[in-house]
Amino acid sequence: MFSKHVTKKLSAYCHSEVAADESRQIAEHLIACSRCRAQFEEIKLGVKLAECLPQLAAPDSLWLDLQSRLAEETKPSRIESRQRPRFSFKLWNPAFAGVGAGLILVAVFGAWLLYSRESRPFWEVARLNGSPRIGSSRMNEKGRLAVGEWLETDGSSRAKIEVGSIGNVEIDPNTRVRLIETKPTEHRLELARGKMSARIWAPPRLFFVDTPSAVAADLGCAYTLEVDDSGASLLHVTSGWVELQLKDRESMVPAGAACATRPGVGPGTPYFEDASANFREALHKLDFGEVVDVPDLQRPLQVVIAESRPRDTLTLWHLLYRVEGKDRELVFDRMAALSPPPKDVTRAGVLQLDDKMLHLWKGYLENSWGNQSGLKKAWLKIWTGALGKANGLEGKR
Amino acid sequence: MEQRAVMAEPVIDEHVIEACQRGDREAFRLLFETYKDKVFSIAVYSFGGDEAAASDVSQQIFLKLMTAIGQFRGDSAFTTWLYRMVVNACIDEQRKRRRFIPFLESMPMSKIEDRRPQEKRYARLEVADSVQAAIKELTPKLRMPILLKYVEGLSYEEIATVMGCSKGTIASRLNRGHQSLARKLGHLRNEFVD
Repeated sequence: MFSKHVTKKLSAYCHSEVAADESRQIAEHLIACSRCRAQFEEIKLGVKLAECLPQLAAPDSLWLDLQSRLAEETKPSRIESRQRPRFSFKLWNPAFAGVGAGLILVAVFGAWLLYSRESRPFWEVARLNGSPRIGSSRMNEKGRLAVGEWLETDGSSRAKIEVGSIGNVEIDPNTRVRLIETKPTEHRLELARGKMSARIWAPPRLFFVDTPSAVAADLGCAYTLEVDDSGASLLHVTSGWVELQLKDRESMVPAGAACATRPGVGPGTPYFEDASANFREALHKLDFGEVVDVPDLQRPLQVVIAESRPRDTLTLWHLLYRVEGKDRELVFDRMAALSPPPKDVTRAGVLQLDDKMLHLWKGYLENSWGNQSGLKKAWLKIWTGALGKANGLEGKR
Repeated sequence: MEQRAVMAEPVIDEHVIEACQRGDREAFRLLFETYKDKVFSIAVYSFGGDEAAASDVSQQIFLKLMTAIGQFRGDSAFTTWLYRMVVNACIDEQRKRRRFIPFLESMPMSKIEDRRPQEKRYARLEVADSVQAAIKELTPKLRMPILLKYVEGLSYEEIATVMGCSKGTIASRLNRGHQSLARKLGHLRNEFVD
């Protein structure tokens, strides 16, 4: 299934220059093959760099120089009148030039209007319930969400967006989203408020959702994301992984886990949703609560440590980065008791936040986080669903 | 050198082409205004930043366009026909110049950088400068598909038609071009961090 490498087709894939079936095969291969995925990252960087190549402005003198050369070349002695267009220089009096300039301006303005309305990249939107709005217009059964436009649902309306060819997003009632960017190397949506559910079947880091308090980067997954009026958000991941990020604060959230975010703070610490209520409450205080002076055993960190199970090393691993000194030692000791570190990972290294050691340990811990076969299995689950849908099988499952 | 945001271009349809073929100067002016920046950009990048050479070859291209437009029969898209003319003119001119001056030494791209010191404040433009310099170092075979893709916005099929080779060849050259840019400018990766 994964035997044929796709490195030669990666630019064409990035530019959507391969057929839909082949595109799916390449995406599937990229999830499974680390070698091709590394090449994909390189090609993607090359594409992004090339996209920075500016169009340069021709010098104003170009037309004047051209006119001079034309005048020279169109002299009767040097031109075979039957072969050359019959340009009449009598046109070049001020009146004609003025009319000409006016015509050009009208044409450019007209084309700009046409462009601004029709030529922007867009996503297809289907109405699911009620009357969603795109911009100021109520949409019919189908609509187009162009880059820069808002899609808004009221209390009784829902909509479904097709994210290019890589997935779809369902928009719940009372939600406001805007399409920021859609191109082969990046699809980006802004969720200002409300709730959306995304199912993405594409290589990691192609689909992003901006919220007021973090950016959600898809790593091949299905998830729901909701934002309240204060800009705080809550992410639930149902398949694969999502990364939440604000500046240098990151949270990796696997299937079955959730993570809250707050404006000005960024992503909190991810946790499994089946963790105890005490654990979740204490973690919330630890992430976003005010620091209060309480007896040691009632400190949120102590509660989190006391209530943690092997699976909750997800939370503890993230906490290593977020607490200091004695607290970090407490976290390490609990993690080591729940799931001893591999031989190349030392206590001293972890306490100094040695990135290599932390990621090595994380690799071992992931087995207890319920993603044993990692990205590949999660993605294939979604992908199978997508293929089923494409084959009309979704309802039969 | 001024850099310009890509704006919508006026639609050059068959009426404009026919008007040009009849010798309508206003129609030709419209054609010129529509394509001058694109033609000039390709020429500048092809000549390693040498604006004078680019300006000269752009004039030649538009002159040839005016005199040969009567031969355009609409068998291919007008843009394909035009860009084939642009690519051929740039390659011919490069060949001529190579007899006298090694191509890479013809004009350093730093000339562009020197002209825009105030813009260097912006990281994005610095990236653009680095990309321009890296583009200069690509071989013409890898450079031209990149320019036609990113400056002109052509599809693989159109680039293949313009360059007279297969779509697969274009895909392969773009792949190598992208890899080359990424390897030369890998240190700029963080500029694209989300």
